[in-house]
Amino acid sequence: MPARNHNQWKANPPLKGGEWIDSRIYSDPEIYEQELEDIFKKVWVPICHESELPDPYDFRTATIAREPVVVARGPDNVVRAFLNVCPHRGMMIERRPSGSFEEAAPSGNPKRMTCMFHGWQYDMKGNCVYISREKEGYQDRLCKEDTGLRRLRCEVNFGGFIWVSLDDKVMSLEDWCGDAFKCIRKPLEAEPLEIFHYHKAVIGTNYKLWHDTNSEFYHDFMHYHNRVTGFNDAYFARENTAFKHGHVNVGSFEVQYDEYEGFESRAELSFPGLPPNQWYMVDLFPGMNFNLRGSALRCDIVTPLGPDKVMIEFRGFGLKSDTPEERRTRIDHHNSIWGPFGRNLHEDLIGVAGQGSAMLPGSENRRILHGRHENNLIHDEVGMRHYYDEWGKWMNRLPSDPSQPYMPAEAAE
Amino acid sequence: MSWRRICAADSVALNSLKKFEVDGIPVVVANYGDGFRVFPPICPHMEEPLEESGLIEGKVLTCTKHLWQWNLATCQMEGTETEKLMHFYDVKQEGDDLLAFIKSEHIYEFDEEDEMDDDDFFNS
Repeated sequence: MPARNHNQWKANPPLKGGEWIDSRIYSDPEIYEQELEDIFKKVWVPICHESELPDPYDFRTATIAREPVVVARGPDNVVRAFLNVCPHRGMMIERRPSGSFEEAAPSGNPKRMTCMFHGWQYDMKGNCVYISREKEGYQDRLCKEDTGLRRLRCEVNFGGFIWVSLDDKVMSLEDWCGDAFKCIRKPLEAEPLEIFHYHKAVIGTNYKLWHDTNSEFYHDFMHYHNRVTGFNDAYFARENTAFKHGHVNVGSFEVQYDEYEGFESRAELSFPGLPPNQWYMVDLFPGMNFNLRGSALRCDIVTPLGPDKVMIEFRGFGLKSDTPEERRTRIDHHNSIWGPFGRNLHEDLIGVAGQGSAMLPGSENRRILHGRHENNLIHDEVGMRHYYDEWGKWMNRLPSDPSQPYMPAEAAE
Repeated sequence: MSWRRICAADSVALNSLKKFEVDGIPVVVANYGDGFRVFPPICPHMEEPLEESGLIEGKVLTCTKHLWQWNLATCQMEGTETEKLMHFYDVKQEGDDLLAFIKSEHIYEFDEEDEMDDDDFFNS
């Protein structure tokens, strides 16, 4: 194929509807704003893991669709989520990423969340328990009963992850993604998990591009080490499975670690109930990834910061019951693939950063191809096609031409 | 035996508060000049640690966080802000030792509203 002039370049590819998308969905500020409203404010988002708040009064803060959120463990051991906003003057109540309310803030009291601005205080159930000079200022026109925090839907599930939704009427978490978790539910829930790794990266790319990378393995051509040591019959036999609500499982298989130079079998430390060295991957709409590679669990959570900017939080997990030695081994297993000097992560980030650089807001729209069909096997791009069909429904936009309303891929041909 | 030795009487200076732990029970000793008072170490208002926030002046104990006050001579509430009595353990001096009658740790009840079932809460 010769190089193409502008008109040729802009023409649609000789593929069917649903097999490509328009790059505006990765760069258009208006589409980005709509995604926050129509997707991120409506779905379940995992905020963190319960092992990050082990004790009563421990808390963790986060944001969902620009809304500040705080999750805190109460004295009754129940984890609750609130909008991290004071009902008085709209100040962010807790500004630390994590910590404990057991100790008092300078203007507050122990065991309360205190807004430092005017000293209003809230307990772990979100009740307002103190308004400074309440009677003097409000007489009886407004009282603590009128000024509780905004409580949010919150559930702990699928191995102790803390899930929050900004939508009071959201479907149950089980209905949302129970099917997609089925393949790793037993290993994740056999015994308590514990976080051993956390880092975050702010990348100049669209959040969906990161999820795309987690949803296809064709990019193993970029992972040099995977390509030269990992491609074998079992690898190519892995099958992708799509679930309702846009979630997918990327094909599972038994990894032959002895074929990877410098790697050891993970059979002994494989998660309970997991066949030895088995690898499972769950990709959730709109951008969370759970990756259980035998002995270590990785979880990626995206927080979109703009059409061309995303924060990705990476967490690694072992079993709470690990001996120090087992934990060290799990951390080695985790880091050798996913750590900063591991085999995969930095290459994945280079990939999406390069896409981001080439799709900045204002760049001319172009076609991004998702048209590989290989019987749903590992290099099939079915995961992305499934995701973008779901995206189209939530956004009422056609992924291949976002100025058009949604229609099923077959109808868009 | 519920009379328990807390400390040497001269270890708590005039108009000061000091925290002790007796058989795992935390208490604060206050020396208000005419004698001593022994009570749980947190303010009955909002659990403020009184050994840090408490101030004794003219026999009156003030929690400086929100100005709740108690008269240590009479054990009654003082001032306009105070809404709850302080719990005082009985106290006596034997020789150099200060003793308090503590059957078990006194735990204040802090208001906590009952919670609705989540679905009722979010659908109301």
